[in-house]
Amino acid sequence: MSRYIRELSVVAGLGLILAALSFFAPAFFAPAPLLSRLAAEVPALVVALGMAVVMIGRHIDISVGSIFGLTAVLCGTLLANKVPLLLVVPLAIVAGATLGTLNGWLVAGLGLPSIVVTLATMVTGRELLSLWQQGRFITLPNGVQWFGLSQTAGQWTLLIIALLLVTLLAWASRRLSAGRFVYAVGSDPEAARLAGIRPGAVTFGSFVLLGALVGFAAVLNLVQSPQVDPKAGGGLELKAIAAAVIGGVAVTGGRGRLWGVFLGLLLLTTINPALTYLHVEAYWEKAIQGTVILLAVEADRFQGKGAAK
Amino acid sequence: MKRLLPFLACASFAFLIGCGQSSSTPPPGTAPAGKKLSIALLPKSKGNQYFVTVRKGADKAAAELGVELLFDGPTNTDPAKQNEIVENWITLGVDVIAAACENREGIATALKKAQAKGIKVLTYDSDTMPDARSFFVNQATAQGIGYTLMDTAAKLCGEEGEFAIITATLTAANMNEWRKNIEARLKEKYPKMKLVDTKPCDDQKDKAQQETANLLGAYPDLKCVMAICSPAVPGAAEAVKQAGKAGKVKVLGLGLPNENKAYVKSDVTQAVILWKVEDLGYLTLHAATALAKGDLKPGATSFKAGPLGELKIEGTDILLGQPFVFTKDNIDQFDF
Amino acid sequence: MIFLVAELIIFSAFGRNFLTADNLSNIVRHSTEIGLLALVMMPVILTGGIDLSVGSLLGLCAVLFGTMVQDAGLPPLVAGGITLLIGGLAGGFNALLITRVRLPALIVTLGTFSLFRGLAEAITKGTATYSKFPESFLALGSATFMGLPVQAWIFIVIAMVVWLLVHRTTFGRSWRAIGFSPEGARYAGLPVERRIAFAHVMAGIVAALAAIILTARVTQARAEAGTGYELLAITAVVLGGTSIFGGTGSVHGTLLGVASIAVLTNGLSRIPSIMGVSRELSGVLTGALLIFALSSGVLMKFLSERRARRQTSRNPSTTSNA
Repeated sequence: MSRYIRELSVVAGLGLILAALSFFAPAFFAPAPLLSRLAAEVPALVVALGMAVVMIGRHIDISVGSIFGLTAVLCGTLLANKVPLLLVVPLAIVAGATLGTLNGWLVAGLGLPSIVVTLATMVTGRELLSLWQQGRFITLPNGVQWFGLSQTAGQWTLLIIALLLVTLLAWASRRLSAGRFVYAVGSDPEAARLAGIRPGAVTFGSFVLLGALVGFAAVLNLVQSPQVDPKAGGGLELKAIAAAVIGGVAVTGGRGRLWGVFLGLLLLTTINPALTYLHVEAYWEKAIQGTVILLAVEADRFQGKGAAK
Repeated sequence: MKRLLPFLACASFAFLIGCGQSSSTPPPGTAPAGKKLSIALLPKSKGNQYFVTVRKGADKAAAELGVELLFDGPTNTDPAKQNEIVENWITLGVDVIAAACENREGIATALKKAQAKGIKVLTYDSDTMPDARSFFVNQATAQGIGYTLMDTAAKLCGEEGEFAIITATLTAANMNEWRKNIEARLKEKYPKMKLVDTKPCDDQKDKAQQETANLLGAYPDLKCVMAICSPAVPGAAEAVKQAGKAGKVKVLGLGLPNENKAYVKSDVTQAVILWKVEDLGYLTLHAATALAKGDLKPGATSFKAGPLGELKIEGTDILLGQPFVFTKDNIDQFDF
Repeated sequence: MIFLVAELIIFSAFGRNFLTADNLSNIVRHSTEIGLLALVMMPVILTGGIDLSVGSLLGLCAVLFGTMVQDAGLPPLVAGGITLLIGGLAGGFNALLITRVRLPALIVTLGTFSLFRGLAEAITKGTATYSKFPESFLALGSATFMGLPVQAWIFIVIAMVVWLLVHRTTFGRSWRAIGFSPEGARYAGLPVERRIAFAHVMAGIVAALAAIILTARVTQARAEAGTGYELLAITAVVLGGTSIFGGTGSVHGTLLGVASIAVLTNGLSRIPSIMGVSRELSGVLTGALLIFALSSGVLMKFLSERRARRQTSRNPSTTSNA
């Protein structure tokens, strides 16, 4: 049981907030708004899952916001030029993966520090985006929103996609050898190499996977509104990293479960609307979010020490 | 040798600066008559549709007046950038600088430096210290914006009920100024209305959409959402539409007509408030040219700006006129 | 070096009023703060570490300096001294977490990157700015002394100090040794922790100094001051030939790196045809330049290692012939 202490404490935290809400603001659980809220967080979840994989592999990617924005604008432009959505989805994934490949090559191929590399690609991407789009919104044609379904059906589709993806990735990370390689490389690259794993290939793969997931996430975000905002994705890296950390992914690599990340994001994204429903002033929002993240990191240190003993 | 090189480079650099002091750039304004006037336009930030539209108007005026337009501005919130750009322009040798100031006090030094070099300075959109420029092209005062927003909201709600505000960030200086005026007007004229919450959206449409969805759930009696940064207006409208409350919860805000057309036409958004942004750029360029040619002098009480007609000058403020309310009936006439 | 010369030639040819004294002194003024940060970033990177928090620390120090002068009414000299002290303490805080708690420098300074900026925003509540400074203080940002901007002299002094430290003292040698192999340095009896800590404290103090100079130049202190400067400083250092993994690098290389970036930004905004998009373009180019510098450093090392290997493999054959 103690193996799952992190997941349990996140669930406990979440339970506490939900209990408070059901007591003070039962309107929080009204089905339609709840569904919208969950659907709106699906893209962030998809990104957080990829981020968790990269972090478990002992790296970090702070360029996800830029990849997200670039893919979103690319897809928006394609869609506005009458390219069908069915074709745009794989293109988005490929575009994201291509950008991930660049990061992966620089980090794994050349052995450069991931934070410096992705800082550089983040800035390059962001400036390219503003050079290209100048802040202009892109209006999407009819029939793109909610994949052409009704709103409720579209939102359910998003949720189902998200759940399938979590299940798939969580299963793969534990059961497939590729998944286990990530953990091995993250906890000790040298030992992994001696065990016959190629750490470079694993790292490269994790960045490409993250890129592809970010590209996909950009589409999942785009279908929820009739316009594309080129600034979408700003601050996404912090949200994804925070969700991973709260969910028990160690910043030093090698540890963390994807279901934990799912719970982490759920907790993180409940805080904000909960404060609105409890009529707390917005000034407190960042402070409370920051405290939760700090608590998680602090808890991580103790947990790490416990594991080491 | 290899080690010496950088020192040589530094030394020659220093030498260049040192000896150049005497032969500094030719004083601007005294350019030969044949040379085109060059006017530099500084936006608060680039990559922002508002200033892209300002530029469109300025470009049009520049083509008509036969002057050269330089457009440059910061791409982030680094407060030092605007100063650097102005200082760059001084050495570039422009004739007029027209600035939208992010930092009222901070940029004044750089602008005064420009004035000392004989460059004419005026401001538009947001002002600097009065002694650092000749004129301010004033599109609408913070009071004008705040009052118009509040009055329009009150009219839409029948002067009673709850409303909420979506802003860019809780720290944005100009929006805090508008909020102050909104609240002042509220207190003064509409006792039956209540501001229940103010949420930041980080200048992102999607975040505005989520915040509005939360507000709609948390305050079931909400009658109106007021979005005071431009990406928030379509974001708020989309949330209201998705919640199935179109028409029941009114949406209004400060935004660009194009981004909101679809919502205004389908009655989700009732009013979009903004001045004619293109005219602001157009007028600024006209004023800048007149200033450089000596046609616009301190103490003038009116200014004729081409097709915009005769505009009033109050003190040193050239007034563009009242904020404009875009509604279903007139929004199709505008394209920006 | 080649890059810088190429820039100078291109911009003199196409830029308007590029090679004028006023503009050159502009370039110097505008790049002093980033140059200072790059100078102290260099020893940190030399030890194999990194400091992502310098830009945020600059913002925090600017705000603190502003409150002390404007609200507490301290004379700028006293306030400046305290600011430098705070900068040193903040650098020491980084050092403490890195050397005592043994967290990676990347993660520590990523944390303090948010922390320092957050504190700056908390102090100003995001909106307050400080602009009431005495004229005598503002001279620091705008006056000239013996033909050079005042801050250039400060920069030259700091550059000489850092140059001497890195290239002429045991500090420099031990920084290199640590960057080359921390374990080896420890076995060789070097006080590894203390040397690393020294580099971070120095970075903190100089970041505070840069904050004061920036405040004097812009005549205003705001919480956003220094946003993104850490990236420019890292780019300058790496562009100047310092290995991102530590161990090798030179201060004069860093100076050239700073000059290249400063000239790039300034020059681009002077070419009429691209003036309108020059800011975005220089942002893109700076990022691309960093990526290029990072990867070319690795490739160069790879090539030189291969050459060395080929030489060693050839040598035995010559001896066997004899």
